[in-house]
This record gives sequence, C-alpha cells and structure tokens, in this order.
Amino acid sequence: MTTEQTIVREFKVENKYGIHARPAALLVKVAGKFTCEILIGKKGAEVSAKSIMGLLTIEGHQGALLYVQTVGEDAEEAMAGIADLFENKFFED
Amino acid sequence: MAITLKELLDAGCERLSLELVWGEEYLERVIEEKAINRPGLALTGFFQYFAQRRLQVFGLAEFTYLKSLTAKEREERLRAILEKNVPGIIIARNRNPLSELLTLAEEYKTPLFRTTMITSHFINESTVLIEELTAPRARMQGTMLDIMGVGVLLQGAAGIGKSETALSLIDKGYSLVSDDVTEVVKNSRGRVLGFANEMTRYHMEIRGVGIVHVPSLFGMGSIRREAELDIVIKFHPYVNDADEDRTGILPAEVDVLGLKFPYYRLPVSPGRDMANMVETTALNHKLKMLGHDAAKELDEKVIGSFLNRTGA
Repeated sequence: MTTEQTIVREFKVENKYGIHARPAALLVKVAGKFTCEILIGKKGAEVSAKSIMGLLTIEGHQGALLYVQTVGEDAEEAMAGIADLFENKFFED
Repeated sequence: MAITLKELLDAGCERLSLELVWGEEYLERVIEEKAINRPGLALTGFFQYFAQRRLQVFGLAEFTYLKSLTAKEREERLRAILEKNVPGIIIARNRNPLSELLTLAEEYKTPLFRTTMITSHFINESTVLIEELTAPRARMQGTMLDIMGVGVLLQGAAGIGKSETALSLIDKGYSLVSDDVTEVVKNSRGRVLGFANEMTRYHMEIRGVGIVHVPSLFGMGSIRREAELDIVIKFHPYVNDADEDRTGILPAEVDVLGLKFPYYRLPVSPGRDMANMVETTALNHKLKMLGHDAAKELDEKVIGSFLNRTGA
C-alpha cells in the first residue's frame, strides 16, 4: 500500500548570497533523489525544487521566507534533505 | 620521445629531399637531441662547447673552410667531430662528400646523408619535421567533429549513438574529422590536434547501414582533415541521481596529452536530440571563449538583485 503524505515547512534563507546558482544546483541535486513532488517558493508562487531555472525566480535572498511542500511517498525524507541544506546555509558563508 | 635516423629518413626523403649516402646498417641510431647543429666552430678545433648529440649539417661554409685546410688538417678536424659519436651527418646542397668524410663515417659507423636543399632551408624544415615526429601522440576512442571552429571529441560507450549524432551534425552543416577512433598529437604551439587514421579517414560505420563514405554522400564541406581539440563531450545513459553539474558554472576537465580540456557529460535519454545538445555545448563553449559565460552572468544577476534588496 502506498502512503501519500504531504509535509509543509517554512524556511528562512540565511546565507548572504541567497539562492543563487550554486545553492539552486544543490537543491536540485537533493530534490532529484526523491520521487515525491517538491515545491518551494513564496506562498502562492511555488516552483518545483527540481528545476534550476525555477529556483532562480523565487527571490530567495538572504532573509526571505520560503515555503516548502513535499508530496509523495518519501515526502518525509525529502523534507529532511531540504531542511539540511537550509540549516547549513547551503554550505556557504 | 626520441626518433631514429630511419624514422627521419622515411619521413624526410620527400619533404627534406633526403637520401642516404652511407650507413644503411646503422640507421637505428637515436637522435638524442631534437635540433640541428652546424659544426663550423668545431671544424676550427673549438670543442669546449659542441652539440654532439645533434645531427650535424655541413653546408657551403663548412665545405669552403675544409677546402682551405691541408689534407692532414682536414682529416684531423673531421676525425675530432666523428670521434664524438654524433648521431649522423647531413651534407647540404647535394654536394659530394669529401673522401675523408666518407672514410671516417665508415670508420666511426656514422650514417651520412645528403640533401638537395640549401643549409638554412634544411635546418628550418628538418627542425619542424623532427618536432612533428617526436610530438606526444595518442589514439583515443571517440568521434571528432568541427562545429563552427570548435573541435569536439565525442566519447561514449559502444552503441550509445556517437556516429548517429555525428551524422545529424554533418547534416546540419558541420564537418567530420574522424569516426570512432581519433589520433591526437600535441603540436609545438601547445595545442592538441585531432585527425583520423589514414586508412579509415572520412568513412563512418552506421549501425544498420554499414560503412559509408562521408564526402561522397554529403559533399566536401562535410569533412575536415584535422582540427584543434577544444572540448570533450561524453555521452552516458541517463541516470536520475547522477552527480552532474546542472548550472555549467564549474565544468569538469579531462586530461589529453597532459593538457586540460573542458569535459561535458551529456545524459542520453529518449527525446533528447543529442545532435542539438552537442551543437549547443560547442557553441556555448565558443561564447565562453569570447568572454560571455551565460551561467556566471545569470548568477551574478540573481545575487546582485538579492544584495540590492537587503541593502547589503
């Protein structure tokens, strides 16, 4: 039996340069490991976390609040992976 | 890499109008130093500095000087040079070797050559030829194309579609350098030159079709004899979590004959027009060389907008 679950969390962008190309590439790399759908962005303007070009449009500057929604079987693991990136400031600064 | 006298003679009989006068049995001698020496000073008896590991060229000046000497002196001076075990002697301007020189060459088992060229011309040409013969070279698996002046080596496992992609690119108007096996050589300007094996040049093997002759099908514009290598592209089967660079800001590098080249790994999957992918990669590389790095420019634009906003 498959268990679809939805998880929603909010993160603050901490690193100085925000979600520019390198952090976006990291997000895509992590998101790509999971089968669930991962959306990220300002509320109402989310994009897929599996799209680099999408991630560059969400205005993820330092201090921005971003919603992340994961929907699918491995939603929990995916959210943990995304959280890890935000908490580590995308390994920048 | 060193070469033997035989290799020089084989390559030089036409380009250098070189012929052997004496020493057939000793052609396996190695030219240890890749340069040519005119033994003018040595003939006067000066040996404090003598490039004895180089080929020695006797030109008009040497011959005129030798003629001004007595027979005894001539023999002594020539012996002093041959004693040093020079790799070989070349006589320019197609002059007949002096009898002393011939006798001494036999005595010291030193091959003697002759060329119709004048000395300075011979020195220039032979230096270039020796550079070519001794340049680092290798045979690489991969198909090479010239895409708008960008030399692209296409690699990937058998059956992944290199030749088929090359065919599409030829159809788009680009040129084939080699199919499946590419010979590479580092030239004196520090560039790597790719070309096809002489035997199979301009032929391609297309699965299901067989062997085709590219210029017969696509015209002379579809081929190039050689091209300078600029980038290496590797086709690989698409895997979802491949550790790939998605932005292109930090392209990987690959080593070819000791030089670094940008290395792009392109995933192959249904629906991806690989000819288009290769063309885009090559043209984007060309743009980067002109100073426009799209990935970096977009990144700077994004960061710039963030920094303005937070007032940092």
